[in-house]
Amino acid sequence: MASLALTFGSGAMTNSIADMKKTDLFLMIGSNPDTSHPTIGMRLHQALDRGAKMIVVDPRRTRLAERADLWLRILPGTDVALLNGMMKVILDEGLWNKKFVEERTEDFDELQRLVAKYTPEMVEQITGIPEDQMRQAARMFAADGRHAIFHGMGITHYVTGTDRVKSIANLSMLCGKVGVEGGGCNPLRGQNNVQGACDMGALFNTLPGYGGLDNDELFAKYEKVWKTKLPRRPGKPATEIWENIFKGHIRGLYVFGEDPAVADANISHVQAALEEIDFLVVQDIFLTETAKMADVVLPAACFAEKDGTFTCTERRVQRIRKAVDAPGEAKPDWKIFCELSKKMGYEMDYDSPEDVFNELRQLLPQYTGITYGRLEKEGLQWPVPSEDHPGTPVLHIGKFTRGKGLFIPEDYIPPVELPDEEYPLLFTTGRDLARYNFSSMTGKTPEIDEISPECFAEVNPLDAERLGLKEKNWVRLTSRRGSVEMRATITDRSQEGTIFCTYNHLQTLVNMLTLDALDRLSRTPEYKLCAIKVTVFGDEQPD
Amino acid sequence: MNITINGYDIVAEEGITILEAAKRADIHIPTLCYVNKGTSDIPCELCVVSVEGVDSPVRSCITPLREGMRVTTESKELQAKRAERMTLLMETHFGDCKAPCNLTCPGQINVQGYIAHVAKGQYEEALRLVMERNPFPFSVGRVCPRFCETRCRRILVDEPVSINHLKRFVADWCMAHKVDLRIPRDPSTGKKIAVIGGGPSGLTGAYYLARKGHDVTVFESAPKLGGMLRYGIPDYKIPQDVLDYEITTILRMGINVRMSQKWGEDFTLQSLKDQGYEAILIATGTPVDESLDIPGCALPKVIPATKFLRNMSEGKGGNYGRSAVVFGGNNVAMEVARSLLRKEVGQVTIIYPRAQTEMPANQRNIRVAEKEGVQFLLMASPVNFIDTNNGITVQLIRTKLGEPDEKGIRYPEAIPGSTVNINADTVIVAQGLSACREKFDGGQLEATLELTPKFNIKANPRTSLTNHPGIYAAGDVTSGPRSVIQAVVAARRAAENIHAQVMGITKTVAESRFNFTRGKGFDDVDLRNFEGINIKLREKMPTRPPQIATQDFSEIKLGFSEQMAITEAKRCLSCGCRAFDRCDLKEMAMDFGLDPSRTGMGTKPVYTEKISHPVILVDLNKCIYCKRCQNSCDYDAIEISADGVDDKGRPVGLNFKFKENCVSCGTCVDNCSTGALNKKDMLPPIIGEPVREVRSTCPYCGAGCQVLLKVKGNTLMEVTSEPDLAPNYGALCVKGRFAHNFVQHKDRLTTPLVRRGGQLVETSWEDALNIVAKNFFDLKSMYGPDSIAGFSCARASNEENYLMQKFMRTAIGTNNIDHCARL
Repeated sequence: MASLALTFGSGAMTNSIADMKKTDLFLMIGSNPDTSHPTIGMRLHQALDRGAKMIVVDPRRTRLAERADLWLRILPGTDVALLNGMMKVILDEGLWNKKFVEERTEDFDELQRLVAKYTPEMVEQITGIPEDQMRQAARMFAADGRHAIFHGMGITHYVTGTDRVKSIANLSMLCGKVGVEGGGCNPLRGQNNVQGACDMGALFNTLPGYGGLDNDELFAKYEKVWKTKLPRRPGKPATEIWENIFKGHIRGLYVFGEDPAVADANISHVQAALEEIDFLVVQDIFLTETAKMADVVLPAACFAEKDGTFTCTERRVQRIRKAVDAPGEAKPDWKIFCELSKKMGYEMDYDSPEDVFNELRQLLPQYTGITYGRLEKEGLQWPVPSEDHPGTPVLHIGKFTRGKGLFIPEDYIPPVELPDEEYPLLFTTGRDLARYNFSSMTGKTPEIDEISPECFAEVNPLDAERLGLKEKNWVRLTSRRGSVEMRATITDRSQEGTIFCTYNHLQTLVNMLTLDALDRLSRTPEYKLCAIKVTVFGDEQPD
Repeated sequence: MNITINGYDIVAEEGITILEAAKRADIHIPTLCYVNKGTSDIPCELCVVSVEGVDSPVRSCITPLREGMRVTTESKELQAKRAERMTLLMETHFGDCKAPCNLTCPGQINVQGYIAHVAKGQYEEALRLVMERNPFPFSVGRVCPRFCETRCRRILVDEPVSINHLKRFVADWCMAHKVDLRIPRDPSTGKKIAVIGGGPSGLTGAYYLARKGHDVTVFESAPKLGGMLRYGIPDYKIPQDVLDYEITTILRMGINVRMSQKWGEDFTLQSLKDQGYEAILIATGTPVDESLDIPGCALPKVIPATKFLRNMSEGKGGNYGRSAVVFGGNNVAMEVARSLLRKEVGQVTIIYPRAQTEMPANQRNIRVAEKEGVQFLLMASPVNFIDTNNGITVQLIRTKLGEPDEKGIRYPEAIPGSTVNINADTVIVAQGLSACREKFDGGQLEATLELTPKFNIKANPRTSLTNHPGIYAAGDVTSGPRSVIQAVVAARRAAENIHAQVMGITKTVAESRFNFTRGKGFDDVDLRNFEGINIKLREKMPTRPPQIATQDFSEIKLGFSEQMAITEAKRCLSCGCRAFDRCDLKEMAMDFGLDPSRTGMGTKPVYTEKISHPVILVDLNKCIYCKRCQNSCDYDAIEISADGVDDKGRPVGLNFKFKENCVSCGTCVDNCSTGALNKKDMLPPIIGEPVREVRSTCPYCGAGCQVLLKVKGNTLMEVTSEPDLAPNYGALCVKGRFAHNFVQHKDRLTTPLVRRGGQLVETSWEDALNIVAKNFFDLKSMYGPDSIAGFSCARASNEENYLMQKFMRTAIGTNNIDHCARL
């Protein structure tokens, strides 16, 4: 997100889901939509069925990896080296799109300079991918055709997440694959409205519509519409809140619809901070682990109990509609904000979510042309600059949002926590098909429990042999931050040296293990990788 | 490419089939087996059409267009061929459309539906479902004769489901939990309608008319509403406070009530018409006791049953002595006798001129009366009442049954010389009841109301209309004494007719009798249907023992506990088809005017093997081998095949398998042409009842799939998706289609909580928001606005995220706002 905003001028999926019908080659990197975005995964399989080509970069043997024309089984956390290596091959062999680079990009020389040192030999050593496979991938991607890159949390959930996304953008621009139907750089957004939450400025460093805190003109506009002086001091990102609570800088916390007590990395640290804080308000639909620690809990309506809009991964703004009444005295969140704000002395007076939308579309250039009326049947993809504009399925056609595409080459930085003698294995996580996040919603349907009753530590057969592990044995995984117990399954889906587990079972809190080191730009934690050790038990769960 | 279909010139894309071209031109061609990926290898052949120049009809699903083709989709010949094919398919389809309980209930209440709601803990929705057809769930739940339970298929396993106790349970639960059902009322029509009588039929009529938006006024002669429920059924069966609550619930629909208004004195039919009432519903019941017409029957100690029961209800009535006799064998007589026991009358004798089994009272009522200590003197009839100083001497004559008359009915005859005497302090006569004594008083309209020989009002059984236009009658006033549910049904039908009349619309057609059944009577039902079902006897209703119960008028049956209700509800075999509202086979058969009870249907289960799947139920007995499941599966995860065909070309020996790669997305269920595939979780069947469809967006991952929420009352019943909407075009994953139980989960937060003494305790919104505002305010003034941070929510709407960050930046004054975009 943050990276694409720097390189292209807009941090969203450049293309559309429907575009996948036109794509000639998919480069899937750090994304397994079969489980994390199932209906998109299905379209990918349909694309393969019709003959589209696919390169999968994934440490795990996923279903797509099995079907791909080329599967690069990469060592976790080494994507930047791979991408830089591919770009060096493309440059060395003169395969890049010279016209595109010349006309539509800047800082190409910086890219050339940086990637020069990523020789195939060096890249093979870092990534574990054989030289010729890497060359082949580079040639396939640089060839003519509509080539799309898809990435997911497997790219961003690292301290170097933004470096990877920049490198992805660099590769796509270098080969001229941006701004065409069936191509582009396509981050698959994890949550239903994470795109919308970003668009709406629920971010510490931008106002709604991605306006920066240094933009005087924009502030003047907002201060006029909101009729109050706005703070210019930079805010603190969510992931930095915990240390600031310990330092006494943050004393009150208003948590709306999140459960950091289980969802954040290194949760024992988070839970200690939540105990430390002076005043905690939680607004949610269930009494989450975080809510249990709150001073005040405000009951909210869920998606089926209110009107509004979500913006999905392809920038499509779509309606949700009230279908049933909220239980008891629970209220829609928008109403709670209005009532609380009034008590705080700032009037927020809206009749309906549509009323709110009509205000925000005046302020957000991407949403200006969207009205509830236009969303009646089908959603619209932003930017929609005017009410007669049909929406924008593909971004950056002819011109990048920021003008010229900017190459921002980045060096490979190894993962924060590498295996050592004490913690000899790597640990990484992914999403279960039938479950969502920490199952606060999916966990309420008995059939889902039947499909996915528990999560397993997926261990490569070679590691299993070394550990003396048998199928379905109980194991304890321990990192420097905590430990968690579950049963193990032996499968070559996992790479040797890396244990994989889904993170969606509340009784198996894998974020006890994960690392809360943060990305330099976006402040995203290194969820996807940490070093662990494994203790094997028998068939009995340890006490 | 230019073609014509039914004479219309159409320009169509080259390479597509006739069926596809017709679909794009909005011309309907029936088909059961065609979906996007193709058809069955044994096709339904319903899509046949005639093409000019081709001798016999062709299947439009596989016939590609040719330039200049002239197609006809409707003709007698085609219709006959389609009907023949449909009949063949229907002959093997085996299952129940509607459950026997539902078919047997006079009120046609969706019994299976509300039981399924109970099993899921959705008591409020269960009650709402009952109230769609019966606004008296408390009373009927206590006194219903339970026609439904006599037909419950569970009898073939062990015992019927205690259906009525479950109805009572949901009503009582909602009362105990102060649930406001929030049943919507249609916008006002401005039509004035009068209802005479505030008993079960009158209030039912008023309730459904008010729901339709009419301005309804009930005229009641008594000081309280309820009619026989209040003045005829004693407290030990329906406590007054329960009845009061029930009536209040009904009145909340917005009904005007005029109490102590006597028909014929305070108003007449003509005066109501003059006041602008566009229709009148007479629902006065049967207030007139038939007299015994023997010497002494007018003595003060000889009391009519209705008067006695009304005294009981009003807490009046004096000392009835130590012994009493009751004449009559109906339900009223039983209640009289049991009430007398509770008035400390030691010896209560019911006297009846026939055998006990011939009494018109419900046999269950007779048994309970006997258990409580009521005595029965049978084959005897009174001839004289003589007042003695300390009571009444009743002269009786013994009876025997005479020769059958021309209808085969045997009437009791006196045995000459068999006179006997019985002494009693009190005599109560419960002979029979009628609507009026020979005619109604008031005016011209009253006097000319057509009556039945038994002095009830003659009304058209279909329309409830009397011989006077605009004047309707329903309930006991037309039929003589019947059960409460029958009064309710009659009045509901009357209300539908009145609505149609005043709005000048044709009445919505009555529900079709179209029904596939696994067997009409118990003897027709193959016992292999119940293989694998273990015996589980019904829950016993907690009841006060007779010796204690007869000490007072408190309720005898104490009601199911929640756990008992759930256990009992889970005994339901769910006979009715869960695909009732989406079955294409049924819909198309009805279009063709075919009725399986005439043309034939499957009679026994062929497939008993259970096919297990975490979210999908499979019943191959309903499968017509359309193969839409396999052909609609985007994952190629279903295998269905037939071992061969029978002499009529129908598949036999079906094999069905979910393959390993099934992702449980449920697309196959939404595409099934019958109820062969069903969603496990979608327990309550929808049977022709209104369902709202609400378009929304899936709340899980970022793909933004469009969903269609199917809502009944206030419950999310099912989630599906529309095939023509971006970005998912009908596709959903297992979460999107199935993981929606959280919406109505009991763990949802329902009230604000604040921490007091270390505990989170419930509080009001006002209090909770004041505490939040004060704390934020204090922190802001002590440590500055940047001491407060907010996390917004990537699951909530744009509008709410916008307001959250606006709140933090304005009301708090900090940029410490963020969300889990990176998590």
